[in-house]
Amino acid sequence: MEITGKKQRRRKNLFVAAFLLPTMLCFCVFYLYPILTVVISSFAKWDYTNLNNMQMYDFAHLFDNYKYIFTKYPYFWEGIRNSCIWALCGLVIQVPIATAVALVISNKCKGWKLTRNVYVVPNIISSAAMGLIFLQLYNPKYGIINEIIRVFKPEFSENILFIPKVNMIALTCAYIFFAGTNMIMVLGQINAIPEEVREAALLDGARGWKLNRCIVLPLIKDTIKTISILSVSAGFLLYNEVFFLTQGAGGTKSISFLIRELAVVSPRAQYARANTIGTIQILGGLVLIFLINMLFRERKERSRR
Amino acid sequence: MKKQKEKEIVHGVGKSGKIVSYIIMIITCLISLFPIIWVAISSLKIDPLAEPGFTLPKTLYFGGYVSVFKDMHILHYFLNSFKVAGLSVLFSIIMISMSAYVVARMNFRFKSLISVMLMSTLFIPPTAMTFPVYNLINNMKINDSHAGLIMIYTCSGIAVSFMVIKNYFMTIPKELEEAARIDGCGYTQTFFKIMLPIARPGIFTAAMLAFMNYWNEYYWASMVLTTKELKTVPAILAQFQTAFSTNYNGMFSAIVVILLPPVILFCCFSKYFIEALSGGAVKG
Repeated sequence: MEITGKKQRRRKNLFVAAFLLPTMLCFCVFYLYPILTVVISSFAKWDYTNLNNMQMYDFAHLFDNYKYIFTKYPYFWEGIRNSCIWALCGLVIQVPIATAVALVISNKCKGWKLTRNVYVVPNIISSAAMGLIFLQLYNPKYGIINEIIRVFKPEFSENILFIPKVNMIALTCAYIFFAGTNMIMVLGQINAIPEEVREAALLDGARGWKLNRCIVLPLIKDTIKTISILSVSAGFLLYNEVFFLTQGAGGTKSISFLIRELAVVSPRAQYARANTIGTIQILGGLVLIFLINMLFRERKERSRR
Repeated sequence: MKKQKEKEIVHGVGKSGKIVSYIIMIITCLISLFPIIWVAISSLKIDPLAEPGFTLPKTLYFGGYVSVFKDMHILHYFLNSFKVAGLSVLFSIIMISMSAYVVARMNFRFKSLISVMLMSTLFIPPTAMTFPVYNLINNMKINDSHAGLIMIYTCSGIAVSFMVIKNYFMTIPKELEEAARIDGCGYTQTFFKIMLPIARPGIFTAAMLAFMNYWNEYYWASMVLTTKELKTVPAILAQFQTAFSTNYNGMFSAIVVILLPPVILFCCFSKYFIEALSGGAVKG
């Protein structure tokens, strides 16, 4: 469309500005301002003693919060280790499961629509509710998991959520298999592959698993990258499962849990230190996205050779 | 029948491949449904403690469900959730479809910057901003109120809705707008009278995804709302374990009741939901 005259251009700019304004305002309120606060206050003294006037540290003590978090705060390394484990689980467990299920469903055997819809159901339920359900499943008195363990170990009557290391596995199992939304994304991409490509591959004799590996997987790589980023960040930020299943007991704290613990729950709240962990979390998330991008780019080059 | 056979040939699945497919499909269904089914079965047992594990109840007992509605006033919390999620969806979708339209259809300075900024919100962990947001809500004196929660929801979750709606606007032919302009519509009029009605499917999809997210959101809901009467459904869940410390049957029934609305909503609108996720929505 040709834009003639100054007046029309001004009117257009006004329109653009007016339509963008609300969203940008929300962006500033909920993202820009908090991020700036988080990053800046991570270099300041700000806790329950001076809630209303944050004090910047002088230059020599600028990294005091970081020092405290890295060396003195007892739970930080536990939190970061767990969050990294969950991020890794997202990549090596959740993504392959989602892709495999999508590949199977894309064969369109009878009942594929039903399976697809059923697999999404756990994802549309609040993860809080899922956490509560798994809390019942793991209950030593009436839960089903202990019943299963008792088949092998008849005397077992402990709560597996209280056993260190085992509770990490239990926590991971409470969410890792439910990759319905990710599966749908992959499936959509598989279905978008033109029939001609498939036909050509079939004529060349590619069948079954070979067809999937050589034709389908390379074509849906971008989507796999997207779901990798989504599941890795979800694992890195895990909170609800931790809160509902163990309340952070027995070495299962995640960094999200620590932030909330420091900023809101604890009566001696350490705002600046919570924000320090928040800064680390933001940076960690960016590093993870960067790593995934690297991982997929390298593969591309290798496959070209 | 014939069509189906053709399909199989096209996809190159042999007999053994088919068997494997069925096995995996059955396992998938079992894994995703078994926790829910187990809870549903347990909710019908008079005392789940006396009949643990995966056994069918000896006698059916619906008392738990009655008490969930009568004593727990679960409908009250549903209403809270519905109010918060509904209003948040309304505000955020109106706001986002306006910006999505502008970004999808117009050229202006800083367009790509704004686009990147809005998309980047997908990768900013909301938990990292716990304290600033909490503090902001406190300073605005809307903590422990639905208004505070609605504000948080409206501002968060921009990225996905933005992407879905923007992609939909991009599929609408440009001629429509031009025709409207020639007929003498201003920019605002063109948007509200022509584009918005055409983009309804895309907007509806985004609204549904957003509604599900807000309905299920736990982190902020549990933090902002402290008064019990104001809590939304996920926030009230945290109190179940203590509220039903001995009444296991009641707790199982309550879980089932709480699962129902999203599941029903999904059953009715699964088509849109799946289209949203499998279509161009996530291509960015």
